[in-house]
Amino acid sequence: MTALEELRAEPQQAEELARAWKNRPGPLGWISVTTHQELGMRYIVTAFIFLLLGGIEALMMRIQLASAENTFLNPARYNQIFTVHGTTMMFLFAVPVMEGMGVYLVPLMIGTRNVAFPRLNAFGYWIYLAGGLLLYAAAFTNTMPDAGWFAYSPLSGPQFSPGKGVDVWAQMITFTEISALCVAVELIVTILRLRAPGMTLNRLPMFCWAMLVQSFMIIFAMPAVMIASTIFLLNDRTIGTHFVNPAEGGDPLLYQHVFWFFGHPEVYIIFIPALGMASSIIEAFSRRPVIGYPALVLSLVANGFIAFGLWVHHMFATGLPQIGEAYFTAASMMIAVTSGVQIFCWLATLWSGRLQPTAGLHFIFGFLFIFVMGGLTGVMLASIPLDLQAHDTFFVVAHFHYVLIGGTLFPLFGAFHYWFPKFTGRMIDQKLGKITFWLLFIGFNCTFFPMHILGLHGMPRRVYTYVPEMGWGPANLLATIGAFIIAAGGICFIANVLKSRRFGTKADPNPWDAGTLEWSTSSPAQAYGFIHLPVVASRYPLWDQEKSKDIVTGLRNDRREVLVTTVLDAEPDHRLVLPGNSIWPFLTAVGFSIGLYYSVFAFSGYWIATALGMIGIIGWFWPRQPLDIRP
Amino acid sequence: MSEPRVLDVSGLLPYRISNKSPLWLGQLLMCVIEGSLLCLLIATYFYVRLSVDVWPPPGVRLPSVMLPTVALIPLLASCIGSYLASEAAKRDDRRGMLVGMISNLVLGGIFLALRGIEWRGLNFTWSSDIHGSIVWTILFLHTYDMVADLLFTLVLIIIVASGHYGQKQRLGVHVDTVAWYFLVLIWLPLYGVLYWGPRALGAK
Amino acid sequence: MTWGRMPSCAPVANRRWPGESGTRPKLATCATMLFSLASAFGQQSSLAPGGTHASQIKSLGVFFFWLLGIIFLIVIAIAVASIFQRGQSTQDEAAQRRLKTAIAGASVLTILILFGLVVVSVGVGKEISAPGGRGNELVVEVTGNQWWWFVRYLNDDPTRIVVTANELHIPVGRPVLIRGLSNDVIHSFWVPGLQGKRDLIPSRVTTQWIETNEPGRYRGQCAEFCGLQHAHMALWTVAEPESQFQQWIGTQLRPGAAPSDDLQQRGQEVFLSHACVLCHSIQGTTANGQVGPDLTHFGSRLSIAAGTLPNNKGNLAGWIADPQNIKPGTRMATVPLDPTDMQPLLEYLESLQ
Repeated sequence: MTALEELRAEPQQAEELARAWKNRPGPLGWISVTTHQELGMRYIVTAFIFLLLGGIEALMMRIQLASAENTFLNPARYNQIFTVHGTTMMFLFAVPVMEGMGVYLVPLMIGTRNVAFPRLNAFGYWIYLAGGLLLYAAAFTNTMPDAGWFAYSPLSGPQFSPGKGVDVWAQMITFTEISALCVAVELIVTILRLRAPGMTLNRLPMFCWAMLVQSFMIIFAMPAVMIASTIFLLNDRTIGTHFVNPAEGGDPLLYQHVFWFFGHPEVYIIFIPALGMASSIIEAFSRRPVIGYPALVLSLVANGFIAFGLWVHHMFATGLPQIGEAYFTAASMMIAVTSGVQIFCWLATLWSGRLQPTAGLHFIFGFLFIFVMGGLTGVMLASIPLDLQAHDTFFVVAHFHYVLIGGTLFPLFGAFHYWFPKFTGRMIDQKLGKITFWLLFIGFNCTFFPMHILGLHGMPRRVYTYVPEMGWGPANLLATIGAFIIAAGGICFIANVLKSRRFGTKADPNPWDAGTLEWSTSSPAQAYGFIHLPVVASRYPLWDQEKSKDIVTGLRNDRREVLVTTVLDAEPDHRLVLPGNSIWPFLTAVGFSIGLYYSVFAFSGYWIATALGMIGIIGWFWPRQPLDIRP
Repeated sequence: MSEPRVLDVSGLLPYRISNKSPLWLGQLLMCVIEGSLLCLLIATYFYVRLSVDVWPPPGVRLPSVMLPTVALIPLLASCIGSYLASEAAKRDDRRGMLVGMISNLVLGGIFLALRGIEWRGLNFTWSSDIHGSIVWTILFLHTYDMVADLLFTLVLIIIVASGHYGQKQRLGVHVDTVAWYFLVLIWLPLYGVLYWGPRALGAK
Repeated sequence: MTWGRMPSCAPVANRRWPGESGTRPKLATCATMLFSLASAFGQQSSLAPGGTHASQIKSLGVFFFWLLGIIFLIVIAIAVASIFQRGQSTQDEAAQRRLKTAIAGASVLTILILFGLVVVSVGVGKEISAPGGRGNELVVEVTGNQWWWFVRYLNDDPTRIVVTANELHIPVGRPVLIRGLSNDVIHSFWVPGLQGKRDLIPSRVTTQWIETNEPGRYRGQCAEFCGLQHAHMALWTVAEPESQFQQWIGTQLRPGAAPSDDLQQRGQEVFLSHACVLCHSIQGTTANGQVGPDLTHFGSRLSIAAGTLPNNKGNLAGWIADPQNIKPGTRMATVPLDPTDMQPLLEYLESLQ
């Protein structure tokens, strides 16, 4: 019995559930939403708007660099734009879009109805939005930060960056960081405690493993950036502490250490979910379970640990003691082992599978090509002598775009093409999808491959122009042309989404014949996810027909109830009534944001944030009827 | 096709006031976040120590060890209050919860008062030098967390005293104690670093 | 000056650098051929090394390139081949086992290769950072400023300390120790043809050894983002035989050349009577500003505005008349000059050999 039949067979239950999970109408209802699909989609759409903005900034930079001594942008504007581009892509696009995918997909993949803390989820989204608005409000009022996305002191200090740009940057980080931490906490608890009965950790889908590892990394890494940006940099600028300002006895390298202790794991925070997506897509389109599941899981976990041990490779040029250098070289190369294992597993899976030449799989092949090359240039950069030449040049720019675009954006686009039916209920146009792929793939390599060469031939990064006699013109022009091809790919993608959303063929619950739980429910999924929570007995319940039909009964349908299971074995423990719609997360986020906005100007903003936040949280947790939860 | 097997969970409790509640795990993770923040600040303290020759810098009075050490007594004792409150929450003992939380609040308040006295004795501020910056930051953050936690305890006291509460609020009382244990526990290394550190690390 | 013909008067933005020609043989290995997209690369390229250290780094890089390149091709070949592997049974136990063995084998091989790369890389790392002093080293202090380089040749005899800017002369065959400092923000000293980069960090001293056996000119550029004009913060390194280097030091030790005709005399008066002296010094005159580059031997330098323009009268005129146009944001002030004062000033400054 498919899920649709099930839906038809039990209309009364479906109706009851729909009523319990309905959002309130009107604008007030819109800001009170706490369901994971709605919030996940808001994360994704908002992040995409920021991707577009970041992309436009990238195009502006490429136009400026297309020829020597170009005057399209003046140096001040160029410095602002590359700062905002990097900040947008790292903090407002890459991390939030992964969180959005996690928030949307994880509950469906593990067979539950929502995340464990729905209101925290809503709060996280509003805080993220507030942070993004802060940066772009500053951008449009001409107070853009201009000290680069890692804002090294003392350039970012009060003496060399007067004005409010850097303060805005520092506090914007706090917003996105709080948002990321909220999602990390709720996803960890969701994955560990709300899995369908029978889904032992050993049966957890790869994407959920990836989100679990990523969430733990966020918990240990994000506090570091809060220390670097807010405690060190912002306090140095606003209340006169002396952490990183050498003019006042501070140490600029302290900032670099703490920033990269966050900054390096940040890269893995971004691409580990993408690795999980790649695994899911490869399984589905190879029509077989991934080979080496334990190896893949162990590699992900190992990646998570190793990522914290190699921040110093961003600081080789500062001159470090020999012993440290050898250690950090070895540690940096270790990452290639764990990444390599994953790639070997995928290759083996593709090798032995029956490949379906969908657009989604195209992106996976593009990912393999680009990511492997980015990984190998990463091995080069782990070598200190080579890094001393390539560091802070266009070679590094090429490397991290190969890793981040290849390692993140390609799987992400693959994921959109793969999960589109689940998001919208319609199939995405495969032909347009493949055109998107080829435009992005060709455009990407055309843009970023020449940058390797430019870097080796001496072009530093973050230069707003270059003198003509350096001979960097042709390669730069090629890169600019490539950037426009990428833009064409982006337009093609947007067109495809808009078209397919309206005119695409209606999708079955499981159009790809995939094996994981999110495909067992209707497309698009209902707010309550499943009419009956599934009981799981294998890694791929839908491929294992005999075992896929077991269900949970006895949960009440007239309120938002989910099943809590044990951490390792997912045995039923108790039922949990989740909170419904609430406006308090929004109000708390607004109050808190007002205070944090003000803290850009004065420390007293923190008191405002505390007071308003406190009021919000008290409202949030104030007892509501019915006080007693009846069985 | 065989009939689907059915797992009936209607017999399970619709809530749980114990460490098995998801909220407890969430609170624990929040503590881990705060813990990594404070641990990184301890690392910063030692890093900063290595970057200057004299520690604490000339002119800075060595912090007194006496008062902070005495203050540990009410602090550790306050955990007993927390413990009583959480046990009372599990068995829905309103009086027990109130006694536990109020003693927690009072003892925590005494600790903070002692810290306030000691803090006023410092002859440097956050803007004196890098030593002042790191010491003030650690003290400030920990105090901020403690005050916030005590305020929430106060709110819970009001709710419980009013009788207007249910299982969710009892779970709140239980989970609140996790945060308090954490704040007490993390203070021990911070105490060691801030008060014994300057004595132990004086000579480079 | 033996390394090239000095420029004569040229129109504004004459971009031909003096003595520009391929004096150094290019190491045309296959890797560089592959990388040589445009023939004009070379003056600031890590792939056209002249220094001992840069050559070692390049050899290491070529080794990495080939090894990793082959690995890349193998991985991609397998990926592409998998597209044509249709319909293999997923239930075939033996095939599964073979694949898992292959994964394990590839993983072990990865570990071995990476271990080898670490060993080789740490070895080269030791060599390029080892103190190169054999008792005959030259110690040069390079201080980063927004956005120019202050260069000082240290000497035990204070009268033999040479000061210059945006230009580094080094003797061939002698190790040079660069002591890096910064006056404001973090900069990074990088001459790709000679050595990897080293940051210049305020409140710290960083060190780096360079050495070359090939006379020639190597361009360098600041590699750490340092603000508005990070893009125009370059310097020239001139490697020359010991005798010529000593000759250069000798010249640099002398005070600024006295005006040799009326025009230059007039030019000196213009210089000394305008705001120029607030920032610049010319030894032997009353000009004693300490903010900008020392101009005592300005005429002998290769570039204006830290590698932005070749040094000739035309470019200099444009630079003095409107520095903000050539290098927006530069700390160089626009000094209002009577139009008739410009020519004498140019004559005087270019005479400061």
